[in-house]
Amino acid sequence: MKPFEYKRPSSLEEACTMLAAQDGRVKALAGGTDLLVQMKQGGLELDALVSLRDVPGLDALHLEEDGSLIMGSATPLGAIENSPDVRRAFPGIAEAASFVGSMQVRSRATVGGNLCNAAPSADTAPILIACGSTAVITDGQADRTVLLEDFFSGPGQTVLGPGELLRAIVVPPVPETGFAKYCKSFRSAMDCCTVGVAVYSDFVPGSAVVRDLRLALGAVAPTPIRARAAEAMLVGQELDEALTDRASLEAVADALPISDLRASAAYRKVLVEVLSRRALTAARAWAERGAVA
Amino acid sequence: MKQELLITVNGDEHHLLVDTRRTLLDVLRDDLGLTGTKNGCGAGECGACTVLLDGEPVNSCLTLAHEAAGRDVLTIEGLSSGGVLHPVQQAFVSQGAIQCGFCTPGMVMTTKALLDRNPDPTREEILAGLRGNLCRCTGYVKIVEAVEVAQCLLAEEELV
Amino acid sequence: MSTCIIGKGLPRVDAVPKVTGAAQYTVDLKMPGLLVGKILRSPHAHARIKSIDTSAAEQLKGVLAVITAKDVPDGLFSFYQWLADKNILCGETVRYIGDEVAAVAAVDDDTAEEAVSLIKVDYELLPAVFDVHAALEPGAPLVHDDKESNSTWSVERLFGDPDKALAECDFVVEGTYVTHAQAHTCLETSNCIAKWDEKDRLTIWTNAQAPHTQRQEVARILGIPRRNVRVINSYMGGGFGSKLVMDVKLPIASVLSRLTGRPVRIVNTRSEEFTTGKTRYPYTMSLKTGAMKDGRIVVRDLTVIGDAGAYHDKGPATINFSSMMFGTLYDVPNIRFQAQMVYTNKEMGTAFRGFGNPQLTFATESQLDELAHKMGIDPLDLRLRNSNCSMGTTSCGAEICGCAMTECMEAASEAIEWSQKKARPSDGTLRGVGLANMVHTGGGGRFYGYNSAEAFIKLSDEGTVTLITSALDMGQGSHTTMAQIAAEELGVSLSDINVLSHDTELTPYDLGSWGSRATFMDGNAVQAAARDARAALAEAAAEMLEADPADIVIEESKVWVKGSSEKHDLFEIVDHAVNAHGIPISGTGQFVDKLPEGYTIPTAFAKNIPCFSFGTQAVEVEVDPETGQVRVLRVVAAHETGTTINQTMSEGQIEGSIAQGIGFALMERLVRQEGKVQNDRFLDYKIPNIGDMPEIETILVESVGTKGPFGAKGIGEPGLVPTAPAIANAVFDAIGVRFHELPITRDMVLEALKETR
Repeated sequence: MKPFEYKRPSSLEEACTMLAAQDGRVKALAGGTDLLVQMKQGGLELDALVSLRDVPGLDALHLEEDGSLIMGSATPLGAIENSPDVRRAFPGIAEAASFVGSMQVRSRATVGGNLCNAAPSADTAPILIACGSTAVITDGQADRTVLLEDFFSGPGQTVLGPGELLRAIVVPPVPETGFAKYCKSFRSAMDCCTVGVAVYSDFVPGSAVVRDLRLALGAVAPTPIRARAAEAMLVGQELDEALTDRASLEAVADALPISDLRASAAYRKVLVEVLSRRALTAARAWAERGAVA
Repeated sequence: MKQELLITVNGDEHHLLVDTRRTLLDVLRDDLGLTGTKNGCGAGECGACTVLLDGEPVNSCLTLAHEAAGRDVLTIEGLSSGGVLHPVQQAFVSQGAIQCGFCTPGMVMTTKALLDRNPDPTREEILAGLRGNLCRCTGYVKIVEAVEVAQCLLAEEELV
Repeated sequence: MSTCIIGKGLPRVDAVPKVTGAAQYTVDLKMPGLLVGKILRSPHAHARIKSIDTSAAEQLKGVLAVITAKDVPDGLFSFYQWLADKNILCGETVRYIGDEVAAVAAVDDDTAEEAVSLIKVDYELLPAVFDVHAALEPGAPLVHDDKESNSTWSVERLFGDPDKALAECDFVVEGTYVTHAQAHTCLETSNCIAKWDEKDRLTIWTNAQAPHTQRQEVARILGIPRRNVRVINSYMGGGFGSKLVMDVKLPIASVLSRLTGRPVRIVNTRSEEFTTGKTRYPYTMSLKTGAMKDGRIVVRDLTVIGDAGAYHDKGPATINFSSMMFGTLYDVPNIRFQAQMVYTNKEMGTAFRGFGNPQLTFATESQLDELAHKMGIDPLDLRLRNSNCSMGTTSCGAEICGCAMTECMEAASEAIEWSQKKARPSDGTLRGVGLANMVHTGGGGRFYGYNSAEAFIKLSDEGTVTLITSALDMGQGSHTTMAQIAAEELGVSLSDINVLSHDTELTPYDLGSWGSRATFMDGNAVQAAARDARAALAEAAAEMLEADPADIVIEESKVWVKGSSEKHDLFEIVDHAVNAHGIPISGTGQFVDKLPEGYTIPTAFAKNIPCFSFGTQAVEVEVDPETGQVRVLRVVAAHETGTTINQTMSEGQIEGSIAQGIGFALMERLVRQEGKVQNDRFLDYKIPNIGDMPEIETILVESVGTKGPFGAKGIGEPGLVPTAPAIANAVFDAIGVRFHELPITRDMVLEALKETR
């Protein structure tokens, strides 16, 4: 590793000022589980790291009164996975967090880091996109918000400008009629995801009729994406087996996977269909069990 | 670039001057001579470097030393006290969960963290908890058994 | 025979230091003035070195030495010196991505890394060849341009008349089977420290499986007397064959140390371990098996093309060993084995647990199932009909003494509920069972033209027994095994014994820990040494107790005269003997594995093996029809131990082997593009983790007739040999598709399922 400055600001304002300096050869350090690997082995050279460790409020994790979930960007994935609130109100998010790396990695790795590294395979992205989450971005003075699905601009790239920091993720409340789940394919019990599919579905009470639905795909395009054609096919319809099959096949149309070590593009397309079907089938089973009522 | 670092390891306070690039693993092994914590990959993929940071299991190879400033670190050397093995260590010994031993410190520390958090894990939870610790020797069979035995030993300790 | 210590699942003698972090591995050692060595490696698969400019690196502050080919002895090295083909540092030509070009010694890691990056090498690219078939084409680029072709070693073995048998037999199956490069992935990467002393002697601390032969290898390549080289081991973080032959980082560190006058350490990064740490040899195997209607296998005809990589290393020895196992399994009367090793511009292979046998057994045991399928009989029945049997010599000359293959098959098939599961009606899930047999050496080999071991024991007045053996412990537990053998024979407890095996200065000459040989070879020597020490103790006791030595009883740390009720503490007797009578109590023991009559290296074939070990694995798998994922649900492994020395550790050897076998079968393959390894980290080169493992039931089958200590044979390698074919056979049972290539990946399965629908 090349030498770099290590800075540890104690306020958001200070952190953003530090991040604005040094011509972009500076990065925020949260858990470091991705960043350190890039610096040690990936040839990433930086002039400075800005540690978020002592910035207050960035690891806040709580439910608002309206039921929405606020996750400070530096909240460790382990804290999300183990939070009784998250497990109760957003079990799909808790489960997706538990899929990331190992227990050790999740002690350090943060939700903000997982998103800001903007790997197409980031495990938290599809479920948070499916749930309609918003990214709260700050420049140290004021906040702006973007829908999380618009947060990513390419592999390893986000809409964050110089001196900007992802401050928090806000997940809107899931109504009693809503269900969310993330399905992941991996080669071994600890792996980056080969393909990830998340569904959020809101049903007409007492039925399997879809009122609102988002289907998000990971690791099949330069950024996490939504399978909009499949979504359009589903909204307003009763989710039965035949529709599940058709929509799952349709989801493949939005996928633009590449071939890499983890899988070929063709295999990834198969997985998009299979995992979409599994996610939608889980949603249908949930609705039919009467979980809505 | 060196900066001052105040860190508590196994109960001992250390005041060091440490390059910003150094990881917690480097400081433990090179500065403090605590070579029980192993470097198996340097990328957080094998778990051999696992230590507890304020009680949380972390890959010390992916934790910058200065990020641990002012915090409590527990390494494998700090686990047994007064020559008495910790129940997790006892279980690894008795069940034959050790072969070459290079993954063992990380396995033991991860097991401790797992059982601290969840004293009564299911088999599934054990497998999920230890999936970040690679072992090339044992096939894991006796490691799973050791975790289960440790679970019992710790439960018995609770009763006493 | 009643035993106190043999057969018990006692904890390892090194368990406590390992579980407390006190155990120091080579990579943990510290010494004053220690420098960091780093190697500049070739970025090209094949190139001529036009020039090297080291000036910038030399000028960097903190750099103490920079070396290239001109600074090191220019001799070539290989495991067999008469096949030497590898420079310490490449002077003219680099032959794979990772080949050693230059090296530096610096004060710390970052400086060394920077210095390496400052060395400028001007290369002229040469055409490279990565595939064995392409390498054999006329006009293919030559990996070594001083050789006539890339075909570098060939073996031909013929027993009986295979052509006649193939023409006359009732059933023939044939097929081509392919395996790929598997990495050892020891958790401790390869590393060493080299240091010269004032007497011009070189000490190397390293994690070596065979310190004595590596000592010879270092002396040979450096051109210095053997007596001037000492190799010291510490605790070892795994071996599996990877640390058997000397790595050139040893002479490189030695030269750097000589130039700087300071100790120099070189440690492989994990990426270097994957890309230059050597692999299991990939084999392409064309096999024919022929049988009669009654199920007798009468002929086997195999052609192997082995991928050597850029240098020989253990290739010739590996392929030779394959031929011996091929000839021995099932005692087939007509055998032909033709093989060649082929150079390619890739990381070389080396020894890897099983030594060419897992590849071979994938072919033979897969094809046996294909044969059973063709004949319409149960694969288990076909195997039972051809089972190797105890005592006697096979058609290829293998002397089988002690064989429980049939018992292993019966135990494994019963535990997996073979007949019930084969008869199970389909319930929609894609489940299947499969099994495979194996034979392997259980006692190393006579490949050097000899096979022997020696051990020393002393009993000390302070109450300890020091055992000096060369049974190096790389994690497999040989220290514990040796201590158990000595304790049993001496009548002391396990905790009384200290085992020393780490220093060539101290230990007797030995070929090392490989080929499942330590228990059999060193164990016999230890037992002999313990007997000798016991006799010395009995004599001393007899003198003190005024009795006949023949009447002295030594058991459970007590000594008494037969018939007397007065029992003395064993170490009090030792103390008394030493301090009151001046009688030292010690013992030496040798075991020389006698060569069979008429033995010569070129003709010995399977007569090289002093002791065979048989076993059977039965597995159950489930295939996900949507994703193609194969999940191994359960493995039953029935293996011969002769006599089990340590139940827990024997199970551990088998369980660990199975994990590596599952990796070989389903997960592990180094993927290269134009010779460059793409998966040089655990994220992308998957080895089984705890969540990937099936339930494993290990059955240790004891058998008689072996000349090992207490009747034991080696169990270090067998567990990996039949796993892959057993899985492939189970996959066939589950989905009706036969895979001829490993690893069987998700997309291969899915593709095959698509075709069958």
